[in-house]
Amino acid sequence: MFYRLSGVHHANYVSDSRIFKVPADRNLAVFVLLFGLAAPFIVPSLYLNSYMLPWLIWTAAALGLNLVTGWAGQLHLGYAAVMAVGAYASIHAARFGIPWEFALIIGGLASSVIGSLFAFAALRVKGLYLALTTLAMQFVMDWVLTHSPAITGGSHASLQSPTLALLGQDITSDTGYYYVAFGWCVLVTIFMLNLKRTGLGRALVAVREKDFAAAILGVNSFYYKILAFATSSFIAGVSGALLVATFFFLAAPEQFSVAVSIQVLAMVIVGGLGSIIGSYMGVALILLVPGIVNGLVSGSSQSLGMQINVETLAHIPNAVYGALIVIILLIEPLGLGKLYGNIRDYLMVWPFDQLRK
Amino acid sequence: MTDKRETKSHADDGAILACSGIERRFGGIVAVTGVDFVIHPKEIFGLVGPNGSGKTTLTNAITGFYPPNVGTVRLAGNDITGTAPHKVAKLGVARTFQNLALFNGMSVLDNILLGRHIHMNPGVLRTALYWWAAQREEIENRKVVEEVIEFLQLESIRHEMVDGLPIGLKKRVELARALVAEPQMLILDEPMAGMNQEEKGYMSRFILDARAERGVSVLLIEHHMDVIIGICDRMLALNYGEMIASGIPREVVKDPRVIEAYVGGAHD
Repeated sequence: MFYRLSGVHHANYVSDSRIFKVPADRNLAVFVLLFGLAAPFIVPSLYLNSYMLPWLIWTAAALGLNLVTGWAGQLHLGYAAVMAVGAYASIHAARFGIPWEFALIIGGLASSVIGSLFAFAALRVKGLYLALTTLAMQFVMDWVLTHSPAITGGSHASLQSPTLALLGQDITSDTGYYYVAFGWCVLVTIFMLNLKRTGLGRALVAVREKDFAAAILGVNSFYYKILAFATSSFIAGVSGALLVATFFFLAAPEQFSVAVSIQVLAMVIVGGLGSIIGSYMGVALILLVPGIVNGLVSGSSQSLGMQINVETLAHIPNAVYGALIVIILLIEPLGLGKLYGNIRDYLMVWPFDQLRK
Repeated sequence: MTDKRETKSHADDGAILACSGIERRFGGIVAVTGVDFVIHPKEIFGLVGPNGSGKTTLTNAITGFYPPNVGTVRLAGNDITGTAPHKVAKLGVARTFQNLALFNGMSVLDNILLGRHIHMNPGVLRTALYWWAAQREEIENRKVVEEVIEFLQLESIRHEMVDGLPIGLKKRVELARALVAEPQMLILDEPMAGMNQEEKGYMSRFILDARAERGVSVLLIEHHMDVIIGICDRMLALNYGEMIASGIPREVVKDPRVIEAYVGGAHD
């Protein structure tokens, strides 16, 4: 219906390797991009900064984890620790007087170095063993952060982030923070979209699917696993730094605890491994649904005049949110991205849905 | 027992692939021992033997998955014994697998494009700056891939996922992926397993054409003797990891030891 393939003919390889081959996809992407640009003027600033901004930054972070877990197939349970490295490295660099542009890159590179250490574990072990190894490294990182006053100020302290300034401009307004987050998320998304059509992306999938077959094609799986970890860690580091600089304003170890690692992994899995639009949806579900359900439950109980005690009220959103995740993964194990894809494929031939897809 | 064996390097002159004294053991089991053979440029060389006779082990010894315990492998005169598989690939050896090794979850086109990996130079920055740094390379390699797609008549399925294809087509896609690497030496491990007579005919034609048009040398592992006799220039028969006969196919298949290995001897 909306997505039509009829009349779309690619006459050369450049056009056949476009990111969006179906006009409807391209139009949708342009619309979303324009909405993102116009959001500060449309969306009330409360929603802009407490919902859209964290959504965008967490999406960038989730895309980074998707690179290593969805593309290269390496289960990673220590992602928040890598984000923490980037956040603390950037803030310390900025406090030291280094311009924020470079501070962010320093944060990303510091994360890359630490994240590549995780990769060395990945080269020795696979699957569940790798998951456990990365989880152990998350705990090590937690311990290091809470026990190094020089980095974090100690276990219950938090570190003030200096005022964000990019291109010589101090960024202090809500709109400014939003655009920084938006810009970073767009950059990461473009990178991931390009990954789908380049040799690097193909090599990562080859390593994930069959490493022996990858080897006989000349793909050095050792190298590509490290590259996947390093790249995803860079994205994690910058995302962590931006999260503190534009949203939390204070860095504290518990912002990057093991629970956060699992939450990011949940975002990626619920969204769909290897799906870019899925990561957007997964983050929205994990990050925003608890708040929405909470509002709905308390709102409806008030309007119905029901007396629900506070504890029940606190637990209902969690239960609904947990049930939602289970239901989604039961309906479509490949996540929300695949659900969206199914609908798109259905509409592609609608009303001739008896046609072979 | 000594592990040193005489290597016959004087016979390797001009050979694409020369194996001498190959032995591979797994624990106490000797999977392959004392195998010597030479493949000349543009030759189709058959390798036969009953199940478990060491054909695939020999292939794995050549391509570096299980390096030989004894013996040497030379590719165009260079010693490649024990080189890691991804380096062997870069040196110009491509292979297909007995039980298929396509990447599920990728299209036919992406699978074949992966065959061009050794001719490409992928990287993180190049991916980020696709339009300036990667597009030209991608398009150039796509052109090479399309030539092979046309050659193997895969045009109609290039955008389909490989998971859903019938086995005959999967084998053809795998051959395409090996051919786009433009190898000197192509190793085909049972490319016709599970195929009917017609599909076998197609595949044999593709292999002959690949040699004629692209000048590859082929090491062909097969159970179908008609194919071996039909398209191979020379062949080698293995049994229990040892060479039992080698030479021109018509003569080798008449060798009493080959007949015994395949259909069993008379019990009297």
